[in-house]
Amino acid sequence: MSTRRRARLAIASLTGPAYLWLMLTIFVPLGAMLLFSFLTVAPMGGREAEFTLKHYGAYLDKGFYVDLTWSSLRLGIDVTLWCVMLGYPAALALARHVPGRWREAIFLLIVLPFWSNTLVRVFSWTIVLRNGGFLDQLVHFVAPDAPALDILYSYPATVIGLVHSFVPYLILTCYLSLQAIDESLIEAARSLGASSLTTFRRVILPLSLPGLLAGMILIFVPVIGSFMEPRILGGTSGMMLGTVIEDQFTTVFNWPLGAALSYILLAIVLLVMIAAYPLLKRQLAGLEGGVA
Amino acid sequence: MGVSRMARRPLIAALALGAAIVGPGGVAYAEGTVRVLNWQGYGTDEPWAMQLFEERTGIEVENDYFTSEQEMLTKLRTSPGIYDVVLVNSSFTGDAAREGLIQPIDPAKITNWDNLTPSFRDNAMLNIDGKVMGVAWLWGVTSFAYNTDKLAARPESIEILWDPAYQGRIGWRDDAVEAVQLAAIATGQDMNNPTNMDAIKEKLRSLKGQIATYWSSEDEWNKLLAGDAFDVSVYWSGSAARSKKAFGLPVEFVIPKEGVIAWLDGLSIATGAPNPDGAHAFIDFMDSADFYVKWDTDVGAPASANNDAMAQLPADAFNRVAFADPTVGERLQFMGPIPDDRRQQYLDLWSEI
Amino acid sequence: MTVGSRLAQVFLALILVFLYLPIVVMTVMAFNRSPLYELPIVWDTIWFTSLVGNDRLLTASGNSLMIAIANTVIATILGTMAALAFARFKFRGRTLLRLLLLPAITIPWLIIGTAMLVLFFWTGIGRGLHAILLGHVALSLPYVIVVVGARLTSFGIVLEEASASLGANPWQTFWRVSFPVMAPGIIAAGLFAFAVSFDQFVISYFLAPPGVSTLPVEIYTAIRKGFTPEVNAISAIIILVSMGMMLLVARLYRFGGER
Repeated sequence: MSTRRRARLAIASLTGPAYLWLMLTIFVPLGAMLLFSFLTVAPMGGREAEFTLKHYGAYLDKGFYVDLTWSSLRLGIDVTLWCVMLGYPAALALARHVPGRWREAIFLLIVLPFWSNTLVRVFSWTIVLRNGGFLDQLVHFVAPDAPALDILYSYPATVIGLVHSFVPYLILTCYLSLQAIDESLIEAARSLGASSLTTFRRVILPLSLPGLLAGMILIFVPVIGSFMEPRILGGTSGMMLGTVIEDQFTTVFNWPLGAALSYILLAIVLLVMIAAYPLLKRQLAGLEGGVA
Repeated sequence: MGVSRMARRPLIAALALGAAIVGPGGVAYAEGTVRVLNWQGYGTDEPWAMQLFEERTGIEVENDYFTSEQEMLTKLRTSPGIYDVVLVNSSFTGDAAREGLIQPIDPAKITNWDNLTPSFRDNAMLNIDGKVMGVAWLWGVTSFAYNTDKLAARPESIEILWDPAYQGRIGWRDDAVEAVQLAAIATGQDMNNPTNMDAIKEKLRSLKGQIATYWSSEDEWNKLLAGDAFDVSVYWSGSAARSKKAFGLPVEFVIPKEGVIAWLDGLSIATGAPNPDGAHAFIDFMDSADFYVKWDTDVGAPASANNDAMAQLPADAFNRVAFADPTVGERLQFMGPIPDDRRQQYLDLWSEI
Repeated sequence: MTVGSRLAQVFLALILVFLYLPIVVMTVMAFNRSPLYELPIVWDTIWFTSLVGNDRLLTASGNSLMIAIANTVIATILGTMAALAFARFKFRGRTLLRLLLLPAITIPWLIIGTAMLVLFFWTGIGRGLHAILLGHVALSLPYVIVVVGARLTSFGIVLEEASASLGANPWQTFWRVSFPVMAPGIIAAGLFAFAVSFDQFVISYFLAPPGVSTLPVEIYTAIRKGFTPEVNAISAIIILVSMGMMLLVARLYRFGGER
């Protein structure tokens, strides 16, 4: 056996199992769902399915679905922005204003909740935010005459829960890129007479931008597809594209419509990724080469 | 192979002995498990009842829940051969039967059959093509309940739900059919056959600012009330009784002057049920006076379809008092089956609002 | 220390409060007697005691643990194999294969979960623990490949070539040279795979048939259809155990130790 053939065999047997697995569980299912999105009914239990475009048509016809898409996008934007506003300064504080021996411990504290269950964390917000709950009592302890907080089952509650779930991602990616900035660059800027603000604007921010963007994408994409958090925390304002897709599969049994809506969501995700691709190229290269 | 045959003999003897000991119980009753699909907190999952049933029959009860009739149907569709007993509201029994999701029930195996109120038992919605597709179990009404700590006077009109004084303080269930039917009652129409859909749409649209939150299960309702999320909320009569009795919440249920939605719940057996005998036994148990009287007295329940059971309730029980008033009977509008196109119309209307 | 630094530290402290507040409140409420979470707190451990009799939650926890362990083993082995191929061979289609890892990471789980439901249900693979395991491994594989790959590229091919030139066969080279160097990466990847699976809700939710569930699925169903503070009790246990485990690992490895 020639070395080339042997190498080829090695490559095939090393990558084969993993990619067969991914094929069966990611790519074939996505294909099946694409097929379903063009059928009149789910071809199961003896139902006759025919080809149709009506589910995509329904999306365009009924302003309702377009509105839902906007609420999902708005949720994605709001959550991402809040994560940036809270997470970036936190990462900056950690990287530049915390003494070295504390830094590692605090970093660990920030990523630790990550390893606890997401669902448990969302659930815990229902306990904190409910009327008569912790926050309500706290507010009324400080200001006894304040009206009831009424924040659970509202849009802000959903945003709070999601920011809580996702802000560690942003702190993580920003911290890693802030930490990698060469200290001598900052000193050089200072010695050339730049103010702290100028140094931040001209040196620190541009150099940490890739980390910031990566964090934003990591947050925005899952948030527009979220359904569990709006369902549990959002109440009447919790209707999103995600919850409607969930309903099609678990409640209404209109799988083809659910499939079509999923594909519309997927198209949005792809557009976002394509738009961000030039900015993320460097990150991807990092992933290619392997960055620990 | 001689040795192994010899070795097997004591085993067979032991098995035979075991069978002899277990025998009587094992043969007389369908043992195993009965898997029930129902609303959470709706009788079948009362721990004492599950224990009592197991003691009597050796059958263990497992509960799974749904939060809407649509979800119930979808669970039956996607999980054939999993459920034994399923709670089907009589207005859905026809749909479920036509789709082949439930199977005929043998009334001979229901010992309480003769005690059931004939108008419920023989109801055309439960008896399809001469077959019993659902056994009448409970009936009650959907209207609203209020927090007695917040409202000094008992509201007698359904208009309280639209009262600006309670803007943002109303609880509602996210169910298109129920919403349309309540609006039909509020606008003085026949809820099973509303003619003025525009009026209903207008009525529901003006509801929007009123609603504080939607609820989807009884447990959620209780937590919302305890958490002061609403003052007045759409609710079910049996559940209101439970909230008051079992959870000690300050709740009163109202049968408003405009009328209420009345419903009849039946128990059905799923197609391909793994344990049909157990399912019959469980349905019979659920319809027994033993179960119902304790349930209503200790926990709170809607009215039973079993005459005998109703007669054994204490004279002051809500279910005897509330419906004893003859004018209440006139205010009940029983929910009929809803054709698919009309249901779709309701769904569209509700999602547009 | 400057005022700016002080301010920065205060801000960081507030973020930590935000991150830990709900977890602490939820844990405290596990010790409150009221089933409707009414305040003031009446201290009691009944919810922990009644948890012992809650077969549903305990079975679901067992399932979660079992799947997470199986997932860790399968994903780590398959992922390490693929990472080896990427690190040690230059071949056509390599970039394409790497790009194919992206969908599993970037497509919202809702879409992947419903797509799996459609295919598995349609083809008769069906739902159940086996289907959930299939899904979890798919989500974990890309992480394992990236994490192990990073470790592999960082120590380079030199050692292996040296080993081969000294006459070791590929098998010996793998176990004596490559594996020991890869080990920290493999352990990190395994931990990642475990966490991905143990935390995974969406995929499990769509692939769990009635009567079978994992812990997150059981908690979600409970939140939507009725629950008692037993959910708080099990959540508190899980949070303490998983955080404790991570702290232990971080201590052993000095977090991100091989950086």
